[in-house]
Amino acid sequence: MKEIFYYFERDLKRWMRSGKSVFSSLAMPAAWLVFVGLALPIRFTDNYLDFITPGILVMTMLFASLQGGTLLIFDKILGFLNKFLALPAPRESILFGKILFIAFRGLLQSTVILVMAVLLGVKMHSFMTVPLTYLVLFIFGVLFSAIATTIALLVDDYDSYSAMNSMASMPLFFTSSALMPYEMMPQWLRIIASLNPVSYAIDTVRALFSGNFLLDGMFGLIAMVIVVLTVSVYVFRKATV
Amino acid sequence: MSIKTIGLTKYFGNLCAVDNVNLDVGNEIFGLLGLNGAGKTTTVLMLTTLLKPSIGEAYVCDFDVVREAGEVRKVISYVPQDMAVDIKLTGRENVMLYARLYGVADRNKRVDEVLGLMGLAGRANDRVNSYSGGMRRRLELAQALVHEPRVLFLDEPTLGLDVAARKKMWEYISLLKENGVSIFITTHYMDEADKFCDRVAIMDRGKIVAMDSPAKLKDSIKSLSIKETSLDDVFLQKVGAGGEQGGFDEYKFRTLLRRRK
Repeated sequence: MKEIFYYFERDLKRWMRSGKSVFSSLAMPAAWLVFVGLALPIRFTDNYLDFITPGILVMTMLFASLQGGTLLIFDKILGFLNKFLALPAPRESILFGKILFIAFRGLLQSTVILVMAVLLGVKMHSFMTVPLTYLVLFIFGVLFSAIATTIALLVDDYDSYSAMNSMASMPLFFTSSALMPYEMMPQWLRIIASLNPVSYAIDTVRALFSGNFLLDGMFGLIAMVIVVLTVSVYVFRKATV
Repeated sequence: MSIKTIGLTKYFGNLCAVDNVNLDVGNEIFGLLGLNGAGKTTTVLMLTTLLKPSIGEAYVCDFDVVREAGEVRKVISYVPQDMAVDIKLTGRENVMLYARLYGVADRNKRVDEVLGLMGLAGRANDRVNSYSGGMRRRLELAQALVHEPRVLFLDEPTLGLDVAARKKMWEYISLLKENGVSIFITTHYMDEADKFCDRVAIMDRGKIVAMDSPAKLKDSIKSLSIKETSLDDVFLQKVGAGGEQGGFDEYKFRTLLRRRK
């Protein structure tokens, strides 16, 4: 168990010392919040910022998680992974350390977006909204960082990974319930959006913001985390014998 | 016996990268020589439990590399050729990570000890991006030594280092052997293998074509030449000069150069 933390700490230190990139990854979600949330003329609600904030929070986590796969790609390319695999520490702790770090980093970035949203006047139902939102975001982060690290295990170079990343990230966001409620969607999009795991997280967070708790959204995410982590461990063991 | 392999073989698809290799390595500096692609790294990867052999057996300190991989990892250290140290961390942090992952007792003391041993004590708290290539190599060695391994695998340990750094590296390696660590090295540098290895094996297209002490190998081909033989001569005689066949046409190359005048 403690080995997971050692690997986590290594990534955390490296990230915190990387200077500008700590903040640069926040530019995109912040721009969405301000330019889309405040400026888009929307008719179905008179406070679009309130509507879109859960979507932007989940988007921050989604992009941070998918981006996180590059960490493992570089560990693989630069020879770190082989050195770690030759250590007596349980090998899976490499995988879990990565997933934990990527999800944690996503939470820190979401915090900045959350603070911005509150400063822009987004209302939350109660004080309990914050910790529950963190919980949902964390579970969602674990889900997508596990997917990202699994893909990183399967591809061999950075270019194919980043192609995969840019292919998946925006479509996942646009086919979710981030931008509009299900009633406003065309029929075909509604079906896709209701299957998209990104929507599960957004709907759950959105419900929290208005004081409800979506139990099935939460369970849906947890069930997917269990499946994806199992696949992750399987792929990791296969890739590293 | 530190390392023993019996008929060790590795296939990648149809390609036989390592072909029926039998090795016995004791407390010595053992050099595995060969051209690029001869199968040296594949052999090391199998011995360090990073790759499964297709056929054959391999033992490190009497532990089977497949069935007792966990035990093998406890007694070895592996330094690949990539120079994988975290440049944003300090020297001490780099070594401390390994001390923790190996579960070393009394970590702080041991980390200071190996950093001192590798001549890095003065720079231990600097970030590694300010280290020279030679220092980074020594830092990797410090990481590898932090848990007092019984067998040390070094893949091209002096690649890309200057003369002074190479000399220093070999001094450290020799010192380790004196202290009972068995050392398994792969290298391209014949002069280094000649000077520092107790025994060498020459590998060609997956097969071991010669294995003995450098002196004996040189003796064995002495009758073929009048001048003093070096390990280079042994290597070329066993492996042949042409590394990659058909790639280079000397005649065409000369005409090409002549045209440039």
